Amino acid sequence: MSNRPLAPAPVTTEHTDLHARNVSFSWEDTPLHWLPGDPFAGHTINVLHLLLPAGERWFVHVYKQVLPYIRDERLRADVIGFIGQEAMHATAHDDVLPHLRRLGLDPTPYTAQVDWLFEKLLGDRTLPPGRARRWWLMERVAMIAAIEHYTAFLGDWVLNAEELDRRGADPMMLDLLRWHGAEEVEHRSVAFDLFMHVDGNYRRRARTWATAFTALVFLWQRGARFFMENDPSLPAAKASLGQFFRAGQQGVLPSAGAMVKSIPTYLSRTYHPSQEGSTAQAVAYLAASPGANGGVRP
Amino acid sequence: MKRTLAVTALAGAVVLTRRALRARIGRSPLWPLPALETPVSGHSPRRLLRARVTDRGEPADGVVRLVLEAASATDGLPPWTPGAHVDLVLPSGLVRQYSLCGDPADAGRYTVAVRLVEDGRGGSREAHAALVEGTVLELRPPRNRFTLLPAPSYAFVAGGIGITPILPMLRAATAAGADWTLLYGGRSRASMPFLPELAAYGDRVTIAPQDETGLPDLGALARTAPGTLVYCCGPEPLMRAVTEAAADPSAVHLERFAPAAAGPARPFTVELRRSGATVEVAAGESALTAVRRVLPATPYSCEQGFCGTCQHRVLEGEVEHRDELLTDAERADSMLLCVSRAAGGRLALDL
Repeated sequence: MSNRPLAPAPVTTEHTDLHARNVSFSWEDTPLHWLPGDPFAGHTINVLHLLLPAGERWFVHVYKQVLPYIRDERLRADVIGFIGQEAMHATAHDDVLPHLRRLGLDPTPYTAQVDWLFEKLLGDRTLPPGRARRWWLMERVAMIAAIEHYTAFLGDWVLNAEELDRRGADPMMLDLLRWHGAEEVEHRSVAFDLFMHVDGNYRRRARTWATAFTALVFLWQRGARFFMENDPSLPAAKASLGQFFRAGQQGVLPSAGAMVKSIPTYLSRTYHPSQEGSTAQAVAYLAASPGANGGVRP
Repeated sequence: MKRTLAVTALAGAVVLTRRALRARIGRSPLWPLPALETPVSGHSPRRLLRARVTDRGEPADGVVRLVLEAASATDGLPPWTPGAHVDLVLPSGLVRQYSLCGDPADAGRYTVAVRLVEDGRGGSREAHAALVEGTVLELRPPRNRFTLLPAPSYAFVAGGIGITPILPMLRAATAAGADWTLLYGGRSRASMPFLPELAAYGDRVTIAPQDETGLPDLGALARTAPGTLVYCCGPEPLMRAVTEAAADPSAVHLERFAPAAAGPARPFTVELRRSGATVEVAAGESALTAVRRVLPATPYSCEQGFCGTCQHRVLEGEVEHRDELLTDAERADSMLLCVSRAAGGRLALDL
C-alpha cells in the first residue's frame, strides 16, 4: 500500500470550455400532464421547476462572492462559464411557472418557501468579516458541490431516459430537461473542483453532503405531494413512496437503487465528478437541442 | 417488565407525535417552512407577457391603433405610467418598442399606435400587415425612460406619431391641475392621429400641419415661465430644434422613436473606482473587453446581454442600456458590461 493519501482522480479528457447558451422554449402547447398516463412521475420531475429558479440564482449569488478566492486561471474561466449557464437554467425553469399557473396549478405557495430558503436561510448573513464570513461562504460552496453531484446524476439520467420518449413525453419539456441535464453533465466537475480548490476539507464535504441530501429529499417529496394534491384534474390524488419505486423500475424516474449507490460514490475520497457521465454525449445533445439552437418546436 | 414498559411508552410517543404532525400538516399543508413575502420565482418582472389584439383602428392615414389585452386571465398586464413603452415581439420575432397611448387608469389594457414606415426596417410593415384582431403576441412589461416629473407647468411638443407618449401625459397633467400647452406638428391633418381626442382640450392645443402652416413655430418655448418642463417626442430634427429653442435646455425631456441601441457605438472612458484604474473603451469593443484588460477576473458569459453574469454597479455617469434583461430598478444603478455603453463620455463603476 502506498503512503499517498487518497485524493480525487479527475479524468482530464472530460474537460470542456463552458459558455451560456441562449435558449428559448414556448410552453403554450405543453399540457399539465406532459408525461402521458403518469401524472405522478411528471409531477415529480416538475418539482425541478419549483426548486431550480431560486436554487440556481443562489448558486450564482454565492459563486460571484467566491471568485476572488480562485487562484487558478482555468478554474476561474470554468466557474465564470458555470455562472452563466446556471443563470440561464434559473430563467428557463422560471418561465414554466406562469404556464403551470395558467393550467390551474399555481405553484407560488411552494416557490415562495423555496425563495425564503435560498434567499434568507441560505443567504448572506450579517457576520463579522474574516473567519466567520469565510466559514459561511465555504459551507455554501461545499453545499453547492454536493447539490451539483445530484444535478449531474439527474442530468445523466435524463439524457439516457429513453422510456420518456417511448411514453410520448411532450417534446418541448423533454428538450428543456435534456438541455439542462446536458449542461449539468458538461459542467459537472466545476463545483467540485472549486470546492477542492478553495477548501477541500473532507469533513466539510461529508457534512454538507448530509445537509444537502436531507434537504433535497425533504423538498422533493414535499413538492411531489404539493403537485399531486393541488392538481385540478386529479381531485383525490396522493403521492406515495410506492408510486416512486414503481416509476423508478419502469424507467420514468431514476431508480431508488441508483440513488442509493450515488451516496458512497460522492463520499469516496477518490471521487471526482468526471469519473461519471459523458461529456461527449452531453455536447452532442446540445449541438442538436432545438431549444438551444434557435427555439423551434421539436 | 421494565423493558416492555419502555418499548410501549416509546411506541406510544411515536404514534402521538405522528398524529400531531399529521394534524398540523392537515391544517396548513405547507407547514413548517416560512415563505418569502414577495415571491421571486415565477414572478420575474422581465418575463414576456402574452397579449391578444382585441381592437384595431386607423386613427389617421398610415397609422393603426391596437388595443392589447392579456391573452389569459392569469397573465394580467402590469400597471404603467405616462411616457412608458412596451417591447412588442412581432410574429416574425422582430422586437419593436411602442409608447403606450391609452389611459393608465384603464387597467388590463394597453393601446399602441404604429405609423407605417415603408422604407423602414420592417417592424411597422409587419405590425400593419400581421397584427389583426385576435392575434396573440408577446410583449415585455412596460418600461419608462420618459417619465413625467411633477411641475407647475408643461410645454408639450409632438411631431406626428410622437403624439403617442404625450397623450397620456396630457391627461395626467390635467388631472394634476398643471398649466400646460401642446404644440402638435405633422405633415397634414389626415396623417395626424388623435385630433378628435385633442379637440376636447380646446385652445391649450395648437395643431400645426405642415401643408397648412409650415414648420411649427417654437418661439413660445423661449418665453415659458420658469419651472416649466418641456416634453418632446418626434423626429430627430424637431427634437434638436426644441432643445435649441427652449429657454432652459436642462428642462427639456426627449423621447426618441428608435431605441438608442440602434445608434453607433462611440468610444468612452470607464473609471474603476475600487481598483483605482481607468480604461478607455474603443468604438469597436465592449466595456467588458476593456475592463477585462485591467481586471481579468471580471465574470461574464454570454456577451450578448441575456445571461446577466456581467451586471455591475454604476456609481456615476449615464448608461445607454442595450440589454434585454435588466428591470428599470436594476437599470437605475447597474449595467451589463457586455453590451451596454456610456450615454455620455464617462462612467464610474464599482469595480
